[in-house]
Parts: sequence; C-alpha cells; structure tokens
Amino acid sequence: MKQKVRNCLLGILCLFGILLSFPDLRAQEVKTTVSGTVVDVSGNSLVGVTVYIKGSDTGTTTNEYGAFSLQTKSPEPTLVFSYIGYETKEIKPTSFSSIRIVLNEINNKLSEIVVIGYGTMKKKDLTGSVGSVGSKDIGDKPLTSVGEALQGKAPGLQVINAGEPGKDVTLKIRGLGTINNSNPLIVIDGFPTDLGLNSINTADIESVDILKDASATAIYGARGANGVVMITTKTGKEKSEFSYSGNYGIQNVVKLPDMLDASGYAALSNDMMINAGKPANPEWQDPASLGKGTDWMDALFEQSYLQSHTVSFSGSNNKSHHYLSLGILDQKGVVRKTNYQRYTFQSNNDSYIKDWLKVSSNITFSTDNKTKGGHNILDAMKAIPTQPIKNEDGSWSGPTDNPYWYGSVRNPIGVTELYKSVTNGYNLLANGSVEISLFKGLKFKTMGGVDAKFWYTESFNQKYNWNPDPVLKSEKYQSSDRSLTYLWDNYFTYDTTIGKSRINIMAGTSAQNNEHKYFNGKKTGFLYDDVNQLENGEEIVSLKGNTEDWAIFSLIGRVNYNYADKYLLTATVRRDGSSRFTGDNKWGTFPSFSAAWRITEEPWFKKPAFLDYMKIRLGYGVTGNQNVGGLYSFASLYKTSSVYSFNNNVVPSLAIVKMPNPSIHWEEVEQTNLGFDINMFKQRVNLTFDAYLKYTNEMLVPMSVPVSTGYSDYDVPDINAGRMINKGLELSVSSTNIKRGDFEWNSVFNLTYNRNRILELNNDTPMYLNQVSNSYVTIQSVGHQANSFYGYVTDGIFQTEEEVANHAVQIEGATSVGDIKFKDLNNDGVIDTDDRTYIGNPNPDFIFSLSNTLRYKNFDMDIYLYGVAGNEIYNGNRTITEGMSSAVNQSKATLNRWTSEGSSNKMPRAVYEDPSNNNRASDRWIEDGSFLRVRNVTIGYTIPGRIINKAGIDSFRIYASCENLLTLTNYSGLDPEIAEIDPQLIGLNQRVDGLYGIDFNVYPVVRTISIGCKIIF
Amino acid sequence: MKKIKYSYIVICIIFLTSCSGYLDRLPLNGVSSDTEINTEQALALTHAAYQPIQWMNLYNMRLWTLDIVAGNSIVGGDGGTDGTETTQFANFITTTDNQIALDIWRGANPGILRSNLVLEKVPDLDIPDDLKNRCLGEAYFLRAHYYFILVRMYGGVPLILTPPVPGKDITYSRTSADKIYEQIISDCENAITLLPEKSNYSDSDKGRACKEAALTMLAKVYLTLGRNYNDVVSICKQITAMGYDLTKCKYADNFDSSIKNNPESIFEVQYTGSSAYDFNGNDNQASWLSTFMGPRSSGFVAGSYGWNLPTLEFMTSYESGDLRKDITVLYEGCPDFDGMVYLPSYSLTTYNVRKFLVSINIVEARDQCPANFVVYRYADVLLMEAEALNELGRTAEAEAPLNIVRSRAGLPAVSNKTQEEMKEIIIHERRIELAFEGHRWFDLIRIDNGDYALKFLKSLGKVNVNKNRLLLPIPQLEMDSNPMMTQNPGY
Repeated sequence: MKQKVRNCLLGILCLFGILLSFPDLRAQEVKTTVSGTVVDVSGNSLVGVTVYIKGSDTGTTTNEYGAFSLQTKSPEPTLVFSYIGYETKEIKPTSFSSIRIVLNEINNKLSEIVVIGYGTMKKKDLTGSVGSVGSKDIGDKPLTSVGEALQGKAPGLQVINAGEPGKDVTLKIRGLGTINNSNPLIVIDGFPTDLGLNSINTADIESVDILKDASATAIYGARGANGVVMITTKTGKEKSEFSYSGNYGIQNVVKLPDMLDASGYAALSNDMMINAGKPANPEWQDPASLGKGTDWMDALFEQSYLQSHTVSFSGSNNKSHHYLSLGILDQKGVVRKTNYQRYTFQSNNDSYIKDWLKVSSNITFSTDNKTKGGHNILDAMKAIPTQPIKNEDGSWSGPTDNPYWYGSVRNPIGVTELYKSVTNGYNLLANGSVEISLFKGLKFKTMGGVDAKFWYTESFNQKYNWNPDPVLKSEKYQSSDRSLTYLWDNYFTYDTTIGKSRINIMAGTSAQNNEHKYFNGKKTGFLYDDVNQLENGEEIVSLKGNTEDWAIFSLIGRVNYNYADKYLLTATVRRDGSSRFTGDNKWGTFPSFSAAWRITEEPWFKKPAFLDYMKIRLGYGVTGNQNVGGLYSFASLYKTSSVYSFNNNVVPSLAIVKMPNPSIHWEEVEQTNLGFDINMFKQRVNLTFDAYLKYTNEMLVPMSVPVSTGYSDYDVPDINAGRMINKGLELSVSSTNIKRGDFEWNSVFNLTYNRNRILELNNDTPMYLNQVSNSYVTIQSVGHQANSFYGYVTDGIFQTEEEVANHAVQIEGATSVGDIKFKDLNNDGVIDTDDRTYIGNPNPDFIFSLSNTLRYKNFDMDIYLYGVAGNEIYNGNRTITEGMSSAVNQSKATLNRWTSEGSSNKMPRAVYEDPSNNNRASDRWIEDGSFLRVRNVTIGYTIPGRIINKAGIDSFRIYASCENLLTLTNYSGLDPEIAEIDPQLIGLNQRVDGLYGIDFNVYPVVRTISIGCKIIF
Repeated sequence: MKKIKYSYIVICIIFLTSCSGYLDRLPLNGVSSDTEINTEQALALTHAAYQPIQWMNLYNMRLWTLDIVAGNSIVGGDGGTDGTETTQFANFITTTDNQIALDIWRGANPGILRSNLVLEKVPDLDIPDDLKNRCLGEAYFLRAHYYFILVRMYGGVPLILTPPVPGKDITYSRTSADKIYEQIISDCENAITLLPEKSNYSDSDKGRACKEAALTMLAKVYLTLGRNYNDVVSICKQITAMGYDLTKCKYADNFDSSIKNNPESIFEVQYTGSSAYDFNGNDNQASWLSTFMGPRSSGFVAGSYGWNLPTLEFMTSYESGDLRKDITVLYEGCPDFDGMVYLPSYSLTTYNVRKFLVSINIVEARDQCPANFVVYRYADVLLMEAEALNELGRTAEAEAPLNIVRSRAGLPAVSNKTQEEMKEIIIHERRIELAFEGHRWFDLIRIDNGDYALKFLKSLGKVNVNKNRLLLPIPQLEMDSNPMMTQNPGY
C-alpha cells in the first residue's frame, strides 16, 4: 500500500521536477511535498521531532514511526530538525521523499555508544561492565598493532607486548580465568575471529569495547568466558573526507645485557676449571692481555626503522555510508636480518536500499611478510668473546679444539646470514549482512561471513662448514596452511515502548565452523644455494599434513528492560553446542542477569552539589569456555602416524598413546560484578568502579594419568576437575583538570587489582611445568596462584669449611666453600626435593596507567604511563649467564663471584659442572617484575585552519612521539614485560598460554622515536 | 511483507533441525579404538610394541648411560646442566625427581601396554595362524623384556597383564619382585615356544624377536636370580646348536652402521636413520649414540655432544694386545678415525668412546644415523655359558666358551684357574667385551646380590652408594598421580 503511494508521489515529483527545470514554467506557484523519517545513530525512530522549513512557519513533528511530511512553496527548501537532547540539524535535501535524517545526541560521555554484541547500547543504559577505547587513543601513534594501543587503556585488561615484529600481543581480561587458554574472544565488526590483532591497521579502528563481566559477555557465552574484545572498524561519516596518515620512526633496543669481555671471560674460565680440578687454558694465563674481544650482543642488534602510511576515503549520503582504506607498514627488526611488512585494505559499506532494508558489508584484508635469519639471542649471550666474528680468511669463526675452554656455540652472527625463513600470510575477514524492518519495532538481521587465513613458510638452511658442528647438506623446509572459518548469524530484535517502559528483545541463532588444513615438506641436498625450490632438492626427508575441524552452534535470547530511564534490567540466556564434546556433554546453558539503577534520577535522592550522575550496577552470570587444547579429547584413538623397521624395511605401527576422556564438557565461568558509574563536578570528573568475583568451575585441567598405566602422562586429555577463583577491583577516573581559555588539561587514570587462586585440581595433584636448565620451575597447585614458581630457598654462601659441615647435607662430597647454602625447610638434615616451596608468581597484583593530555591553542601533548606491580619474574637467562659451570660467556655480575672467605654472600664460586647444583631452580633466579614505564610521549601541532583551508585541506596535524621513553624497574633482565615464550625452549610440546613470566631467550622491547602527520582533505 | 517474515522463520527452523550433524566432528588422522582390525593392522599393533625400545627413554640413551653409573665413564657433555641427572645417579645421590627415573619409567610402561594390547586383541582375530603365533610370541618377548628392565631398575612394580580400561580404576599397586620374575619367566617360555628361529626369517623380517632372543633373555633372568645354572648352560648350548659361530663374526661388525642384523647379533633395536621425524620425539627413527658420543668440537661425527667419556680406571683395565681396544675407545696415539687425528684435548678424561661413532662423511647430519643397537649377541651367550658353568663348579668346562671370546680379541687362552679367579676373569671379560653396550650396570648389581657392585663402586670412590641406592626411586610424578604406589626404601 505504502509503495503505491510512494510511487505516485515520485511520479508526481518527477513531473514537477521536469516542469520546474524550465524557467518559464516557474511563473506558476507549485507546492513541494517533503517527507521522510528521523532516526538516531542506532537507527531507532525518534518520535516528536520538530521539523520545519527554515524561514517559514511551516512545520510539523514526527509521528510514532519517526515519519514526517511537509508541504512547502519553496522549490529548494532548507529543513530544520530539532529535538531535545540532540543536536539540531539543517539540511537541503536533494530529493524530497523518503529522506532519512540521523540526529546525534548532544555529545557527552553518557551518550557514547558502546558495541555490546548483536547491537549497540548507550553507555548510560549499560547494566554490565564494559570498557571503551576510542579511535583517538588508538590512532596517531607509531604502533604496529591494536593490541599495543590497548595497553592500560581499559581497567581489567592486561596486554603483554611481544617485541618481535609481526608477533601478536597477549591479552588477558580480569586475570587468568583458567590455566588453559584464557585468551579473550576477539570480535571484529560482529564476527568472532582469531584473526591476529596485528593484522588490523590501527588507523582503521573506530573503537574497541571490552566486555568484562558475565552480563556483558553472556551474549557471546560460548567463547566469552575470558572476556570479549569488540573491535569496530570505521564507517563513513556525515562529511565525505579523504585522509592520509603516516609516520616514520627509529627503533633501538632499550637495554642490552652486560656481558664479560675477553679478559673477564678468560679469568672466569681459569677460576672455573681450577675450582673443579681441571686444567685451565694455558693461553689465558694473563687474562688482562686479551683486551675486549668480540661484543656478540652488540653485533646482533642494530638500529632499525618503522614506517606506516594509510590512505582512507569515507563518506556518506542520506542512505549509505562507505569507508575505504589502504595501509602499508614496513618494519625492520632490531635483531639483524629480521623484517616485517604488512599491507591492509578495509572496506566498510552500509546502505538503506529501501527504508526497511539495510545491506552492509565489512571487508578486512591484510597480507604480511615476515623474514628472519637463524638468530638465537641466548646463543649471542653465550658465545665466547675471545672468538672473533670472522676468521682471517673471512669465514665464520667457530670454536675448534678444547670445548671446555672455547665452548661449542655456533657463530651467532653467521647463522643470521646463512639461515633464512620467510612467512607470508593472507587474511581475509569478510562479512555481509541484511537487516529487514518487518513491522513496527521488529527487525530481522542475517549476517554471514568468512574468516579466511592462508599462510606459507619457507626456510632454507645453507650448507656450511661450521665449527664445531658443520651442516653438510643444505636443507629446505616449506609449509602451507589454510584455515577457513564460516559464520552465519540470524536474529530478530524487537523494540517497543509501553508507557514508561522501553523493552528490547533479541533472539536468534549463531553457527560457526572451522577447518584447518596443512601440509609441509623437507628436502636436502641442493647443488646451488640460490636455486632452492623443493624440486631442486636431491632427497626428500619428510612430508606431513593433516586436517582438523570444529563447530559451534548457539541459540541466543536477550531482554533489555528500561523503566523510566531509572531502572535498567538485562537478562540473557544462551544454549551452546560444541563439537569438542560428545553426547549429552555437547550442550551447555548459560544464563545471566544484571540490573542497574540510576540513583540520581530518583526524586527522593538528595544529590550533593558535586555529584551529577550516579549509576549502580549489579550483575551475575555464567559463561562457558570450550577452548581446550585438543579438538577430539573425547575420542578413544589409535595413532597410526609412526613407524618401525626390520632390516631397513619400514613397517607401520598402530599404537595407543593418549588416554581418552569421553566425559569432557564445558568449563563454566561464574561471575558476579558490582559497579558504579559516577559523574561529578559538572561532568568534569567521570569515575567508574567495578568489583568482581569470578569462579571458574569444571575447569579443564590436564588429566593426571599415572605412567604405570602405559598411557602418556604428558599427552593427556583435559578433565573437568579444576576450580579457580579470580577476584579484583577496577577503577577508571577521567577528569578535565583545567579548562580555561585556550588551555586544557585532561587525565585518565586506570587501576586494576586482581588476585587468583587455584581451588581444585585433578586429585589435587600438583602439576609441574616449564623446564629451565633441567629443572621444572612452574607449579599449578591447590591453594596457590596459577603459574606459581616453585623451588629451593637460598640462604647465602658457605664461607668456611665449618659452615659446610654444620649445615644440612647438600651434595655429599661435592658441596664446598663458595657454594650456595639452601634452606633446610623441613629440618631433616638433608637438602632434597622436600625443601622446595613457593618462591613467587608472575601474576601482577596491580596494573595501572595514567595518561595526561595538555592542549594549548594548536599544540597538544600527551604523556602516557603504564606499569604493573606485585609480580615476579623467573630470570631464566641468568641461569645460563651466571651459571659459571660451562664454557659459555657470563654476565658482568659474575665479576663479584666468591673467591675467598667473605668476598661475596650472593654470587657463588665459578666451578665447572656445578657439582653442588648451585644452579637449581631457586629464589636465586626470582626477581621483582614490577615496573613503571613512560610508554608514550607525543607532542603535536595542528596547523590553523585559516592557513590550510585555502588549499582545500580540512585539517593537518603533525606530531613527534617516543614509545618506551623510560622504564623504572628493579628487574635486571632485558625487559620486564615478558611475552610469550618459545615452547620448545622450556620442554613443552603443547600449547603455551604465554603468561608464565619466564624470561628465557625472549625478544627485547624497543624504544621508538618517530614523527608523523595526519591530513584530512 | 508477511510472506517474507514467515519464510525467514521457516528457513531458521529448517536450519535448526538440520544442524544435528553439524556438531559431530571426528579426527581424520586417528583411528577409533573400536574399529575392526585386519591382518596388516594386527601386525601394526605388534610393531607398536617394539617402538619403545627405540626411544631415548630406553636403548637410544638412558640404558647406555648406565655405563656411566657403573663407573666405566663420566658424563662429559657441555659441563653446564647437561647430564646432571646422570651424574646424580652416578654419585648415588638420586632424588625422586631425577629425570632418568622418570624416563625409564616412561619408556617401559607404554611398551607393556602395547604388548598387552596385542595379547588381548590378536587371539580373537581371523588371521593366519603362523602370523598370529608370531605376533603373540613377539608380544610375550617384549612384555618380558620391558618388565625385566623395570624390575632390575626399580624392584617390584605394578604387574599389569591386560590394558587398563579408561575411566575405570587406573591406579595400581606394586607387586613383589619375585612375582614379576615369575611372570617374566612365563612370558619368556611362551615366546620361546611361539617364535621362529632367526634363520627362518626372510630378509625383510630380520630384526623381529626370535626364539634365540627369548632364550638369551631367559638365561639372563636365571643368572640375575642366581639359580637354574643348569638351565642356563643348556640354553646356551641350544643357541650354539642353531648355527652360531663366533669365529665367523667380526667384532666391529656389531657396531657398523651399514651392517644390520649380522650373524652374531641375536636381537637389535632397529633404526632407519630417517630424519622425517623429530629427533627428540618418540617417532624418531635415528640412532642417538654416535651423535652423543662424538668427541666434542672434533668434527669426527655429526653432532658430537661429547658424552660418555671413559675413565682412566677403565682404560687401564685393558690387557695389552687386546684387539677390541682400538675398536672400542679413542685415546692419544690411537689409529686415525676416518683420516682424522684424535686429540686428548677433546675430552675431559682424554678418552672418548669409538665403538658407535659413524664418521661425518658417512652420516652427514646429527639426526640421520641409521645404526642399529645390538641388545643381545652371541659373545654374550658364550660368556653366560662360561659364568653358569663356573658357578656350578665346572670351572674347566667354562674355559672353552670364554676362550672363544678371548681368541677373537687376540688374547691368550685362560686355563687352570680357581673358581674365584675364574669368576673375576669372566666378570672382567664381560666388562671389556660388552663395554658401553649397557650391560655392565646390570652385571654389577646381580653378582652376589648387589655386594659386588657395592665393593666395586666404593673402590672407585663413590662414598654414597648403598644397597637401597642401587635401585632407582619411583618417579615423583608417579607417586603424585598414583596414591596406590609406594616409594623404594631410602628415598
């Protein structure tokens, strides 16, 4: 019916338009009818908006559908729309029917929109705990990834940086939710994805909303147990614009370890050998004469650069928005021969094809290229300084002859040249959705998308006559991986207002499945080193491949109830099924409920003068986690991928290895959250405070399988036998300190306090993990924090033979003066495994950040501080560089080693093979990991409009910035921010969670000084 | 409009109901354990039971490092934390978290599970009888072999004869050593009955457990228990009668990487040298011995980690003129190794093991050595015969088998010795003939019920050794996860 009317009107208007275009026809007075709808940014109709023609008294108000219709004599009328609480808008429509007008709320913090999953909500209507980070906090800094930009920006979110270019950050929300994979869910434009955060161009991000408590994450129940990070990319703005932003920076390693030089090492080697009764190197009888020798660490690291450029176009008209951007990032690593390049493309479009039909799409495409040589930071520390980098004939040097003096490390610089690895990745995240307004208040949206990842690795190890261990045949390794995830969401939303109540209901389904296929191969023997395609190899060494898949299906329902803008209620329920579980265990039901009370709206509430607004929130919910290590833990399987042989005749084998756990089921996180949102001093101070209590029940922990059963005790399924608690407080205060004339000073302070404790484990059996230098250092045990450190306790050094004799027995016949004294904790006269205890843990108690922004006229300055406190770090590098027990270079700290009675009570004697086991896992290697870092200082200048507007430029800002300017810490290692560790280094075959706090050969963080600009045309 | 609305609801309902198979995902690279098994797959089950002997947990590393514990050598390595667990055991100050205790435990127990799986499933399968008997024979042999290792290293252990049922009780308590030995003997006897002789195997089956391998193991068990010497003698004669002749076998052939399953060898761990698998993982098909024992920084072999350095005491125990010395060890002035001169500075003790080294010109990468490891060979059988005869008081008869071994080594014959003297001579001959092959430790601890080991080790200066410490502790990981397990005394 309506369509007919519209068509009619169109026809008539067309006719009029044609007629009007002829000047002599304008003599006749014609009436123009203008009609359309008025909505807010979320697409909700606004009722009672005043619409009038400027300069006349013709006006009307919008009806309950937000629609209006006016008749005007003016051929080119200007319409004015005004509405309380919203910015008045004037437009000169180019077409006169079905105009769509969007009114923006008058901008204050409360009216900010937050993306909450299957919809958006105004911050003031939230009942859950959500932190938001806007684009100005993310953009305009020389950061390669969103992850880095988020550090400290929202309380409750912990971000650990990875130094290596192209490696992603580690995120945790509200502590370690589980001892398994406790990474939060990343959702990009509504698509849950495991696209790495470093594949997104920071310039393309509009906002990041961090959903923290159960009611906020409930909508993503199945995967939201560890919190949800919602990333929204930019969309076209009202004004069309074209912008360029770019920056260029220089990077340097912040700190290098202080290693001994040639004379220092020679003296140490002599001590070490003599103390062990072994011959010292006769060539080193005069250590001082050897001078400085080679500084391997200095040779491995170099200054590097980082540059990025982004060009974006955005625009909109009445009915559609579009945003398009292209970006390039080029980063050279501070370790020689490492490089990272990334190209990104973002295209976001949405359009009202009809009034009732909205079609939108988001496409994120990125491709990156990572190259590196065969560097090994620990080897560069170990290499002996008396060895030159190259021999006289130009070949790479290496230890020959006695390995007890000269070591046996392969030349750490040579390997960066003769071993090369290149990884290319292609990521496409594309989704399209159709939203249909069925009838008043009822909408239906279907969204489908694909998350496609392809990555290829090629590495070549050139043959070379290394001393001591030559590579006689060149070797090529190549791999190809493909991971495709499909998503299809369908849901209804219904909005209605009944008297003072506003109700929003959402119900729908979500289906997601993934398939990962890979294969890889290795060949050796290449005639020419630069002709090394797989087909050029002589001999095939290995060929492997596999396919894995998983699927999730969910039914979702949510009700939001708002009574008189004073009382807010949200209730959500989800039913999720996962392919990782079997039978009845496949499904889990996850409800949540939260309420909020805008107490300042109550007439009886006597508001103190300074208080503008206060909202109290309380929520409770259960969310599920199915992200376990094995996709098929429930299945009882034989392994057929290995072989045996008889007389070189290879035969297959069929073996049972892994204990199955058919009863594996959903892990549940039960969270209670109490929060306050307060605005004070006329909106100058905004404060958000949350207290939460998070129980992880049915926690999936590795099954404790006794070796005597014959099943593997480390390749085990998970079993729902654990329980963990996290409790904490979050505080965020943002304030406008000074706003006077041209000068403004704002600050934002964030503070997070979190503590966790393991309540139950499988049979309460403690789990030992992470071998560093032959000892396990991490323990998971009941009653203690997750990932705690476990070891012996030191008690000074034996200064006299008497002390050795009177002390509990350490190593009979070996412990001597100069060795470390360990405490006999159980007083049984022997130092053994029963004398170990909890010596620290890597979980920070406090995470804090403070950002100060100052503005004066066109200048701006931003100083951002970030820090953590209350965590310990296990300095695994020191077990090598202070071990003084084998032929590897040591740090300068060993200059203070014990040499005679009273010379030291901390650093033991140097003795080959460490017979008394001074290097065992103990508090000797535990250090305070707290730090305060000046993470970013940026100074910018916005060129005044009057100068640039003439050139057609809307805005031009230039800035200079420094990342990691200064770090205050007691930690002696390269960097107190310990990122993910290479699992092979610590003896783990499985997944690594990344937050063990063990510093072992980890890439250091760098300082970047850069300049950049952003121009908007 | 309504049409559109209804059609969408219908689509959703269809979608919901069609999702039943959507959430059922099974791995494509694994076989469900209740699948039917055909002949080839039954053989594959048996092959899986062999695999643990290849692992570093057993013959690829931990069992030859027992020579270090026996005092023939020291660890060496890089001096840092390399091999601290071995040095700890060699000094008899082992703690319950010692890695050797865990590794050997992790090596033998899966072998027992895999053997039990064969013994449970194969009898009911519809496969040819000769193959069925052979599979069962191999499983009995292997199960006995794994238990023999366990009982000698740890004492009494859980006796598990059927695969544990997942979900049901998986914690076991220890059975006494005597009962374990009874089971080992019974399994050996079954294996002897079911297995063919080695000469009956085709070339592509050589290396499978054979009758004489089971016989050799049974003889060893009797000698370990210190009884049934008559049976030992008749077993050894039975093996000789199968055609074994030491005069036709070269000593060095046992360790030559290019010669597999030679005429002297009775049972070998098989390797192909393929580097397709992770060298450090359980699927590895390459031998570790050459890589580990190569003299450090010498470039003699690929890898050259410099482990297992012979002691001066061992070197001086060689009789002069012993042809085996130049094959077994490297020392200053020894014959060049593949054209390379040995320098004593390569080793802390100035000696290295030579026997297992494969030149870098033959095997170019550290993870590709194809050399098999000989577990049982005929020379061992002859020496067992001599030992049994001597224990029976038939000292003069013991001379014959002993002298066959000695004459191959270029040493003069032994005659006219007392029983005590002969005992020492035979022990010494075993030490030299089988040096670094993983036998010395087991010989030390079985003679005179452990007293010989205590006497010998104390003479080397190992002050901490005592009867309790001759056994390994039950690994702490097992103690933590199995409440039914009890620890060995002294730990």
